[in-house]
Amino acid sequence: MWRGLSALVTRPASAPLRLCARCSTGAESLVPGSTIFALSSGQGRCAIAVIRTSGPASGLALRSLTALREPPPARSACLRLLRHPCSGEPLDRSLVLWFPGPQSFTGEDCMELHVHGGPAVVSGVLQALGSVPGLRPAKAGEFTRRAFAHGKLSLTEVEGLADLIHAETEAQRRQALRQLDGELSQLCQGWAKTLTKALAHVEAYIDFGEDDNLEEGVLEQVDRDVRALEVALSSHLRDARRGQRLRSGANVVVAGPPNAGKSSLVNLLSQKPVSIVSPEPGTTRDILETPVDLAGFPVLLSDTAGLREGAGAVEQEGVRRARQRLEQADIILGMLDASDLASSSSCSFLDTVVAPLVAQSHDSGRQRLLLLLNKSDLLSANAPASSTALPPHLLLSCHTGAGMDALLQALKTELAAVCGDPSTGPPLLTRARHQYHLQGCLDALGRFQLTTDLALAAEALRQARRQLSHLTGGGGTEEILDLIFQDFCVGK
Amino acid sequence: MFLLRDCGRWASASLGRRLPLRRLRSDSAAPCSPHFDVVVIGGGHAGTEAAAAAARCGSRTLLLTHRVDTIGQMSCNPSFGGIGKGHLMREVDALDGLCSRVCDQSGIHYKVLNRRKGPAVWGLRAQIDRKLYKQNMQKEILSTPLLTVQEGAVEDLVLAEPEPGYGGKSRVRGVVLADGSTMHAESVVLTTGTFLRGALIIGLEVHPAGRLGDQPSIGLAQTLEKLGFMVGRLKTGTPPRLAKESINFSILHEHTADNPPIPFSFLSDDVWIKPEDQLPCYLTHTNPRVDELVLENLHLNSHVKETTRGPRYCPSIESKVLRFPNRLHQVWLEPEGMDSDLIYPQGLSVTLPAELQEKMITCIRGLEKAKMVHPGYGVQYDYLDPRQISPSLETHLVQRLFFAGQINGTTGYEEAAAQGVIAGINASLRVSRKPPFVVSRTEGYIGVLIDDLTTLGTSEPYRMFTSRVEFRLSLRPDNADTRLTFRAHEDAGCVSPQRYKRALWMKSSLEEGISVLKSIKFSSSKWKKLIPQAPISINRSLPVSALDVLKYEEVDMESLASVVPEPLKKYTACRELARRLKIEATYESVLLYQLQEIKEVQQDEALQLPQDLDYLTIKDVSLSQEVREKLHLSRPQTIGAASRIPGVTPAAIINLLRFVRNTQQRQTAVMEHQTNQCL
Repeated sequence: MWRGLSALVTRPASAPLRLCARCSTGAESLVPGSTIFALSSGQGRCAIAVIRTSGPASGLALRSLTALREPPPARSACLRLLRHPCSGEPLDRSLVLWFPGPQSFTGEDCMELHVHGGPAVVSGVLQALGSVPGLRPAKAGEFTRRAFAHGKLSLTEVEGLADLIHAETEAQRRQALRQLDGELSQLCQGWAKTLTKALAHVEAYIDFGEDDNLEEGVLEQVDRDVRALEVALSSHLRDARRGQRLRSGANVVVAGPPNAGKSSLVNLLSQKPVSIVSPEPGTTRDILETPVDLAGFPVLLSDTAGLREGAGAVEQEGVRRARQRLEQADIILGMLDASDLASSSSCSFLDTVVAPLVAQSHDSGRQRLLLLLNKSDLLSANAPASSTALPPHLLLSCHTGAGMDALLQALKTELAAVCGDPSTGPPLLTRARHQYHLQGCLDALGRFQLTTDLALAAEALRQARRQLSHLTGGGGTEEILDLIFQDFCVGK
Repeated sequence: MFLLRDCGRWASASLGRRLPLRRLRSDSAAPCSPHFDVVVIGGGHAGTEAAAAAARCGSRTLLLTHRVDTIGQMSCNPSFGGIGKGHLMREVDALDGLCSRVCDQSGIHYKVLNRRKGPAVWGLRAQIDRKLYKQNMQKEILSTPLLTVQEGAVEDLVLAEPEPGYGGKSRVRGVVLADGSTMHAESVVLTTGTFLRGALIIGLEVHPAGRLGDQPSIGLAQTLEKLGFMVGRLKTGTPPRLAKESINFSILHEHTADNPPIPFSFLSDDVWIKPEDQLPCYLTHTNPRVDELVLENLHLNSHVKETTRGPRYCPSIESKVLRFPNRLHQVWLEPEGMDSDLIYPQGLSVTLPAELQEKMITCIRGLEKAKMVHPGYGVQYDYLDPRQISPSLETHLVQRLFFAGQINGTTGYEEAAAQGVIAGINASLRVSRKPPFVVSRTEGYIGVLIDDLTTLGTSEPYRMFTSRVEFRLSLRPDNADTRLTFRAHEDAGCVSPQRYKRALWMKSSLEEGISVLKSIKFSSSKWKKLIPQAPISINRSLPVSALDVLKYEEVDMESLASVVPEPLKKYTACRELARRLKIEATYESVLLYQLQEIKEVQQDEALQLPQDLDYLTIKDVSLSQEVREKLHLSRPQTIGAASRIPGVTPAAIINLLRFVRNTQQRQTAVMEHQTNQCL
């Protein structure tokens, strides 16, 4: 019944094995979005990564990737070669497990793929799943919520669920911020803006076009904008499949007032001279990031400009970037000069950065903070620097190395919490989600036609916008109405 | 010349005429004691629908109004329907409401808007003869069984201890009239429109009035405020009225009505008027001189300057000129009735002093010699934050008290009527302790309207737009009956047998028709030969069904039936059925994509939150203070509604879910325990 594995392996990758999934017209494809997938193993280096799906199209996904005609026996592992359903390109040899509902984690049909943990493999499999009709990346906590909805979790098991979802949402938000940082973010925001305006103008035509005098040529402009957007999106998607750099690992950001010794710490932790160190305040201006391995965890360590007001224009830009990077951090190493705690820049840092973080420290999914007091060697033994008013902190000296062991120990605990949590959405998943929604947006734009049925045309734009809003936020009705009333004089 | 003092005299005149109280009862079998199941206050578009709906549901109902002769008054524009609003009217009709049927008997210019934009967004609209509408509506109201009408002004509510098991601080037991008498009621529906502390404004003059010639309700506004309702203020306006014979129509663009006219009601095969007897409308435009006049006289225009929120859309000529300068704005000249001497210049809503209004009018082409019969004016009025009511339109604060219409911050006859039907049905269901009748966002525009109001509130007069509706392709004017009539019949009992039977026939014919159309399958080349005008791609290898072919714009049921007479001929006998099959085919494939989304929304809608939950104090659920306050204010009925409140996080939703599941389990356990004990 099953085709031999060898037969599959010998088949040339260039010849697609199956119909391109997006073109197939299976019954499952009619109900999009009902089956979800996610990487369920944690971030960081691991030999095996586990990818899960849940929902009615799980079986289809399994068949599409493995070329099995029938699902394997329930709840037993078998080894298969995975291929991309569209290109036929081999992805990995994987352990495949099939859990037909209701006897599964979520109560729905589920499938698990245990693949080799390398980023290329995981990324490839996630993208392959995204191309199967009816599959979409899971939202935060969606697996657990489905399990809950199907009565698979007891109430006590669900106690922590809200916290987990909150953590996931927060982590995904920060992850998305990182991913959408810079150019890509601007691209997405720009597309979203174009699309929202196009939709608003079509909606205006529907709701007000008859009696109110809208300007001539609005719809023609919409058509031009949508076509241009289609071109931009598809060329981006073609590029993105190759080049985009993945920044893997926990984001650890060193921040603090100028001259606290942040750069010295970064150099110590990375064991190489990443940052220029000088006694002059404001030496570091741009973000300097370096990938390091701390206690076995992959970390992206960022050195930032000292936070202070009123410096020169270049330094202020550095300060702005530092604050932006703080937003994206998983762990913040807040650094102060122990001998200079009373200075205005120290106080300001304690008030504006440390205090809010400490205030939300009971919050799950929060940003983690380690407060460090550097230059302990400058303190005289009989004058303890730490006043009782300070939140919990570590005393160290980058100069003598005193306190470094305690810092590494504390960092390890925090990193374990950040990286060990399977939910923190590694960039691979973010990228898969990103591509999934951009592709969905592009597909919807393809359905946009300025035919006589403007309601159908608007529907295509609505779907496109909904996909994009997963990446950019926004997307409500009010946004559309605001644009309509801003651009047109309508209403009686 | 046009002084508001005159309006004041009107008001006091009507006050004098109101006494002694007249009570008109259509149903002689009703008992004489002043005790009713449902009392509806207000005889506008919300009040009439509410009273009639409550009576249809079988409740002895009293409609209290200032003046019986203003029942069914169209206080502003002489038209009904439009885009989005027409959808609401079809849904009101599907619930067996009145306004659509009355419009089919009173229209003088029927026109379907958006004809060229797809049937999902067609907007049924008509110019209505004010006098006829009022007459027909009064006839309808006064002949509704179980419905009594009485004149009187309500000053206060009779309150009692709350019923256990429901939320709310007290329970309404009746109303106190201005003459001190009391009416007992099991439920009360308040539809006071713009009358709560209503004020009319022309230029710098402000005069208390609910509508030109009617005094405002002050006592009731105070009562509501004392009860703890949050009150806001909104403004709206109406244009001046012009003398028909003074307008030079010959130089203006004439717009004729549809021939044949499309009726509003599912029950009407035709409208009352002969197509050729319909009156035309005319179009003219403002010009730079109008802009100048408005801008020069802003200091004489307190309505425009004040901060009270008007809508973002432009209802008044002042806001159009201010926000979109140097443009020509449309002015539609609409007839007010078959034998009316008045013309309603739609688009010219204005609050300038009367003399300046006259001056402005004569700047406009065709109106050079126009005579202003009475001036336009602004209205400012209190509304109650609609987050204080539940989707059944019952208030959170006072049990069995329902609000409908402009009091909830909406604008428009149709929005009012839609809320009226729902409030009337629920006021009646509440008396018999039946579960509320709630239309969801996936079921109708009414659902979107009420869900938006009750979960998000509003800070401008809320108007229905199709862009507010997520599932626009499935919530169409053509299928309002299949969406709502059966539920209304089963859950509320407010539908006449005649309507029910008709809807049932239509539904089964549609289902049959669709499956027959699906079953007829030919190759694409055969279809191409049969119907050459359809752009069918002959490259398709799979057989193509007749339903797929019917999707094409160039194809309708008649052309299909002419090439496949057997079995399609019979589906063309009923014009409406043929038309609706065509529409179903148009959207069939796209709607499949929405099914999953609709299902997901419905799943969340099915998860009910307990009504008497005190979000501020509940302990077993971890919610932030901010979320607690938001939930406390809107009191969402379902998890779905809760998730639409801005600021309520996914984590909070999960916590609520857990709480609900927990409560349910405990209740089931208790019930099982009790059953075991009984055994």
